Amino acid sequence: MKTTGYLTAAAGLLAATALTGGALAQSGPIKIGVVTPLSGTYTPIGQQVRWGLELAAKEINAAGGIAGRQVNLVFEDEEANPAVAVQKAEKLFQVEKVDFLTGTVNSGSTLAVAQLAERNAKLAATTVSFADSITTDKCSPNMFRVNARAEQQSVALAAWLAKEKPKAKVYYLGPDYEMGRSTVAAFKSSAEKSGAPTGGEVFAPLDSKDYTQYFGQIRASRPQVLYTSVAGNDTVRLLTQLQDFGLLTNLQVVGASGTVTSQNIGAIGQAAEGFATGVGYSPQIDTSENKAFVAAFRAANKADPDLYGADSYGLLFAYKAAVEKAGSTETDKVREALRGLSWQTPQGAKTIRAGDHQAMQPMYVVRVAKGKFDIIDKVDADKAIGPDACTRF
Amino acid sequence: MNALDYLQFVLAPQVVNGLALGVAVVLVALGLTIIFGMLDVINMSHGEFYAIGAYAALALGAAGINFWFLLVLVPVLMVPLGMAAERLLIRPVFDSRDRHVTTLLVTFGLALVVEDLLKVAFGPNTQRPPTPIPGATELAGIIVPNYRLFLIVVGAAIVSGVAYVVYRTRLGAMVRAAAFDRNMAASLGVPVALVYAGTFAFGVALAGLAGVLLAPIYSVFPTMGRDFILLAFTVVIVGGMGSIWGAVVAGLLLTQVQALASLVISPVWTDPIVFGTMVAFLVFRPQGLFGRLGHA
Amino acid sequence: MRDRLTLSMRASHLLALVFVAAALALAAIGAASGDTFYLRLGTEALIFAGLALSVDLLLGYSGALSLGQALYFGIGAYVSALTLLKVPSFWLAMAAAGGATLLASIVGGLIANRVRGVYFALITFGLAQVVAKVVYNTRELGASDGMIGIPVIEIGFGPVSVSAGNPVGFFLIVLAIIMGLYWLTAYLLDTPFGRVLTALKANEKRVPFLGYSVWWARMFSYVLAGLIAGLSGALYPMLRGFVSPELMFFATSGNAVISVILGGVGTLIGAIYGSVLLVLLKSIIGSWTEHHLIVIGVIFMVCVMFLPKGLVGFIRPRIEERLLAGAQKPAAPSFAPVRLEAGSAKP
Repeated sequence: MKTTGYLTAAAGLLAATALTGGALAQSGPIKIGVVTPLSGTYTPIGQQVRWGLELAAKEINAAGGIAGRQVNLVFEDEEANPAVAVQKAEKLFQVEKVDFLTGTVNSGSTLAVAQLAERNAKLAATTVSFADSITTDKCSPNMFRVNARAEQQSVALAAWLAKEKPKAKVYYLGPDYEMGRSTVAAFKSSAEKSGAPTGGEVFAPLDSKDYTQYFGQIRASRPQVLYTSVAGNDTVRLLTQLQDFGLLTNLQVVGASGTVTSQNIGAIGQAAEGFATGVGYSPQIDTSENKAFVAAFRAANKADPDLYGADSYGLLFAYKAAVEKAGSTETDKVREALRGLSWQTPQGAKTIRAGDHQAMQPMYVVRVAKGKFDIIDKVDADKAIGPDACTRF
Repeated sequence: MNALDYLQFVLAPQVVNGLALGVAVVLVALGLTIIFGMLDVINMSHGEFYAIGAYAALALGAAGINFWFLLVLVPVLMVPLGMAAERLLIRPVFDSRDRHVTTLLVTFGLALVVEDLLKVAFGPNTQRPPTPIPGATELAGIIVPNYRLFLIVVGAAIVSGVAYVVYRTRLGAMVRAAAFDRNMAASLGVPVALVYAGTFAFGVALAGLAGVLLAPIYSVFPTMGRDFILLAFTVVIVGGMGSIWGAVVAGLLLTQVQALASLVISPVWTDPIVFGTMVAFLVFRPQGLFGRLGHA
Repeated sequence: MRDRLTLSMRASHLLALVFVAAALALAAIGAASGDTFYLRLGTEALIFAGLALSVDLLLGYSGALSLGQALYFGIGAYVSALTLLKVPSFWLAMAAAGGATLLASIVGGLIANRVRGVYFALITFGLAQVVAKVVYNTRELGASDGMIGIPVIEIGFGPVSVSAGNPVGFFLIVLAIIMGLYWLTAYLLDTPFGRVLTALKANEKRVPFLGYSVWWARMFSYVLAGLIAGLSGALYPMLRGFVSPELMFFATSGNAVISVILGGVGTLIGAIYGSVLLVLLKSIIGSWTEHHLIVIGVIFMVCVMFLPKGLVGFIRPRIEERLLAGAQKPAAPSFAPVRLEAGSAKP
């Protein structure tokens, strides 16, 4: 009967758990759990995260692993739903007994997983979420962030804009959810501080198909600059529709880091030319480290890395450095080691600020030219990072 | 900003843009209303056929086939697909007592499967075929892209064509007869099973055609099936299930309301307004504006 | 009243007892081996089973497909979370969530019950979408990030108290609550009023002629379903420590519908079995491949087409036969056919 089958299967699973429970001493492979969206709308980002981590794991293992132990990545699909992310993360912590967790994309998932990490006395890191709250008002002693947050992005971009088009009128168009609103707010405060007047702002629902309904307002306000923090398909539609309606001539479009990436630049095509953003990574960064990274990434995945791939790649090396410095994978020791840690990444040297677990890194202003992300300006790490607003630890 | 400026730069373009979006919505809703009106089948996977049409246009276009040829080729290719879906999935549950529920559920399952299949086949990233008619024209001070003008014209032509076939031809009469009274039509010599399969195929072919036409402006990605499905269902209900003119009027009206409303209130509230309209109609006038086609 | 419905209800109860026995056994194994994850996964499956139960009440008994039941689940979850953030009391949170969903489902019922069939499905769908969107954009409710920081509470029963963080303890409490909701619903359906609901599904037009009010019956079942969903939802933040708008999205409602179809429409216990089955399927298939939607979608379509009664519906008739056979044995003589003798028939 069905129920007896269910009973034995479940009993078997539980028994297996009990058996494998105590097996992981300090000599087996280091397991790193990755909870990332492998299905649903954020799949392109999850794919880059996966590629970046896999490349790093391969390189680390080829060079002898972390403190002599091989790195094992365990993937789970979070479906971009915090409820699923928490469930899978718990599975990774309690059943797979991973030593470290990463991969969450949307900030809701990252915050929920951070709380879970605290309750399981393990550490986690994000390489994608850029909501400021993750390392400010909702910071957690068990969550680290190696990617640039919204404020860092906007500081770099605003500084460049003030130089390039001083006092230009800016119109803001953001997607109507937490991330969209906070990125617009972050850039707006930086821009207004440097004297750029605001022409207006509008928040479009996520997954809007047709942005033409906002073009009237945009046209009426006659801005010189358009700031947008839409992403993925929404960017493709916004920019191509802007171009179709002739609004891109004489308009400088700037945006958040995730607005135009190697994922959607192909679909945007010509309409992306001239787009500028503040970002922590560009495949065009001219260092031998980055060139090697990009070449290896392309060879493995037949695609260029974007900021998510690069940051995920860099994370594993940070973890390696921390574990080797701490001499163990124990949560408290690794946490101490990660605080203040500096390590090399394809983007240059990054440092994790002890006060809020936020990585400091040089920020680049990149502009799209002929489908490539050219670097046109750079802001130093300490100037780009904002004040430490985390009060929990 | 004075009133004339407002009229020229904000209001008029908004109306024209709303028109282009309206035509797009009508094309998608048309197939849906035909399937519901004629077959009494709720097709939750309609959006996925729209997506299949767009992906087909993308793939075949990349293989070098001309856009104009695609406008005919893709719907034709979708007909056998639609007939297969009708025969394999709809036919078995058609005669159950709660047909509305079972067809809704079966097509819901199909939508899940197709969406994931598209992701497997084409990858999760967004793609976009080039705009077939580039450039824009200026009409009385408003800049409108040529392709959107083309859409308005072609959309009107397609709707008229469909209405003509349904209301003025013998084929259309057979279909309406089969929808009205299946057994009587069968005893009068109408090949009912074929008519049903063909009608379903026709409805999804229309969705596929909409996909081909809209791909250059709305781009192509695996979850695109969900883009229009809500609005399309609202249009079908407000216009009246099975009514072609209802779909046209409701489609154009609702998109205008959406476009103009976003001028005065926060855009986030446009969706609730659209749903509120649907709810209001369902509660106060469930037969929609123009009632049903197959069932008088 | 002993009729077909009572018989099938008894069969359901039998399956329910089997389920409880299995769950208790698993809890014992879990407690013995010190497992936390599977017990908590089971608890989550039970919580969503409560949502599926509410969908089955509507679909299986009054014939109304609700595509937005997650709305009440979400309201229950959010109200519970808000209460717990202020006052970490289990009973207060449950009461608040129950009260809020009662009100919400009365309002929702007034709107939705004006229509039937597929229109009803679309309205419930629309309601859920609209409210989910409002919550998604409301800063005070955490907006799109949801709310974290719900504490692990102590659930008190007089002198004894169980922590929500205790996997076995909380699992047993949730099991008790969900099965309690099941038995309450089953009991109500066995009353004369409950029979009116079944009559609605069988032939709604006839019901008024029998002297019953269709409107009251439908409202009652809708509000009860909303309450069940809300009380189940209230348990979620206690388990996971957070709430997010995704709890109200169509995916959650859709999963509930899939659970009901898999388990068996109209059996009540089928919803619970189906929910557990779905969680298992997703977990197992999800570990092999990220294309779990294709597999689940296909299984779902097959169930709708060929197994309209679901898994429980497949098994239940066999149990019913056994029960009937068992009941018939002592009364056998009276069921024996009467032999007519030639010439004995009277005019």
